Amino acid sequence: MSTAPIHAANPEELREVRFDAAMESQIAELLTHYPIPRAALLPVLWLCQKRYGWIAPGVMEAVAARLGLSPAYVQGVVTFYTMFHTTPPARFVLQVCTTLSCAVCGAGELLAHLRKRLGIGPGERTPDGTFQIVGVQCLGACGSAPVVQVNDDYYENLDPAKLDALLDELAAAKE
Amino acid sequence: MPKLTIDGREVEVAQGTNLIEAARLAGIAIPYFCYHPYLSVVGQCRICLVEIEGQPRLAIACATPAADGMVVRSQTSSRVREAREAVMEFLLANHPLDCPVCDQAGECLLQDHSMDEQGGQFSTHMVETRRTFPGLERRLLGPHVVQNQNRCIHCSRCIRFTQEISETSQLTYVSRGNHAYIDTFDGRPFDDPFSACAADVCPVGALTLREFRFRKRAWKLRSTPSICPGCSIGCNLWIDHHERIVYRFTPRENPKINATWLCDYGRFLAESLNAHGPAPTFRDEDGSSSSPPLEETVRALALELKAARTLRVVASANLSNEELFLAREIFAGYLHGELVTPVWPGEPRRMKNGHGVWLASSDAHPNANGARRLGLDIVDESGLARFLYGAADLTVLLDPLAHPYLAGEEALQLLRVGHTLVFSQRQHAVCEFARWTMGVASLACNEGTFTSGADQVQRFQAAFAPPRGALPLWQWFTLLARELGLARLAVATPRDVFQLMVSQERSFAGLAWEELGGFDTDSYREHQHVG
Repeated sequence: MSTAPIHAANPEELREVRFDAAMESQIAELLTHYPIPRAALLPVLWLCQKRYGWIAPGVMEAVAARLGLSPAYVQGVVTFYTMFHTTPPARFVLQVCTTLSCAVCGAGELLAHLRKRLGIGPGERTPDGTFQIVGVQCLGACGSAPVVQVNDDYYENLDPAKLDALLDELAAAKE
Repeated sequence: MPKLTIDGREVEVAQGTNLIEAARLAGIAIPYFCYHPYLSVVGQCRICLVEIEGQPRLAIACATPAADGMVVRSQTSSRVREAREAVMEFLLANHPLDCPVCDQAGECLLQDHSMDEQGGQFSTHMVETRRTFPGLERRLLGPHVVQNQNRCIHCSRCIRFTQEISETSQLTYVSRGNHAYIDTFDGRPFDDPFSACAADVCPVGALTLREFRFRKRAWKLRSTPSICPGCSIGCNLWIDHHERIVYRFTPRENPKINATWLCDYGRFLAESLNAHGPAPTFRDEDGSSSSPPLEETVRALALELKAARTLRVVASANLSNEELFLAREIFAGYLHGELVTPVWPGEPRRMKNGHGVWLASSDAHPNANGARRLGLDIVDESGLARFLYGAADLTVLLDPLAHPYLAGEEALQLLRVGHTLVFSQRQHAVCEFARWTMGVASLACNEGTFTSGADQVQRFQAAFAPPRGALPLWQWFTLLARELGLARLAVATPRDVFQLMVSQERSFAGLAWEELGGFDTDSYREHQHVG
């Protein structure tokens, strides 16, 4: 089973966000886990990122209103964590670990291969919006280095050949 | 109550006092950037490190409560001095060395502590170029606050101010670590009604005020304690001035009223103190006008007042207790005139005191409660209109800004009937036809007391002498009293008027002039070298 692509809502849709019944009930459920609404901020943001693909200003505002926080406060939290997308991401975000274990086991090689195959490097995305590369710090999977996290899934013990196969599979995954 | 020793000095403090405040009580200044006595403690800047006997590691003084028997070393510890030097090096690693063009210079904690902790010897191990924030060097964050992110030391005081005091939470860090910068949500204006306080609490030149920056170097300013004229709350402030020009208001600590804050509305009234009334002007029936010398003016006024068969006087809740007292004694008591004091609620204002309690304004004037205490006849707009509709030979306006109604067409038409004498701090429509216009000096030149909304009598001082021609109102009144032969009221200073008032008025009985200022107490000020 391969990783599902991210469906990033377009900015127009997220200008003003109103949570539907499904979102509302999930948020209400999350709130029961915490003593104060502010404590539920991270899980609610994760929920939103799953739903909309990224955290647009309109989403921050809706979350702030729902949890009784200021939009600026929510923005501070969102921008603190690099895992929250504040712009629409590509369908597949390739997070290439570049910390020690992965670095000695061939992360550099993987990045070079990605550049050759996709023509992009860390911080860039392919023009068709399929792939986006992010260089990240330790993903905590040193035992199976080198590691690339694609959206929410780990792909471990990679080499250029395995990476090629993975990219083929992902590129073929049509919606 | 814990008793402890700091740098060899013994001090006893209240339970829960932190080491910075305990040291302050012992007369020792521990440096800090992120700590602020009215904000939460976050321990971010690390400059307040001290050595505590029996603890192997240095501790931050801001987050360490004083304990009984504690032996603390600050200036006397070489470990502390080295650590602080290292912290300073970190804080300055990315800080631009632009003090000569930075408007915070002279009241900058970074400058002060650099001199104190590094002995003015700046050294750095950094070889990289400094981190900068292109586009955020000169950005208008809101109507009043200008941001230069390059100078920010990430103390988070401004953010905590909007979260904890003004409660708008408009400011935040965006991004993190080395890349973090101060911003509002989605580029919205920083229009917090207390926004200028964010620049006050900024220990460096990262946030400065549009209205003040580059107008006067901080070390040139002198500060005079005064009271905000903006509403009935009575916030304590400093008038910062130089060569008889008012440049700004800054908050003066009063835990019961305004802690160390001012609202933007009140703060930016500072400029209005630079308007003083014109030299006395007499306007004849034929429209010709002249400016007679002071003595002649006072003599003519006294004659006009005595000659009037029916006299009515509009006082003002913007006047001091002393001025209102004199007005009542002279115009109502001696001259048997009818005297009213218009009061209007104005825009609602509020202020959070040092105990976290919001205070609300009741009136748009600093001294409506003074008028009430003196038993004056308080009128609202319709009462004022009724008063002016009544016939009189002579109307005296003690302050045309007493009520906005006085600038309206209806009031102006009513005032054209009969003669009008006006005491005015500023040009006003009434001055254009008044028989006499007497220039009044602004609050910056006045001395006296206001009675706050919470019924506290608070004293304000004069920053400088009035310009030629204009006089503080109390002085007009005492001159007039002398001319009218009221020796009892012809006293020399506002203090004398106050003593008279205290001896005569039960509502002011027992008050002592010297105790009303709160000037002698050691009020919190970060920049002691100003003023």
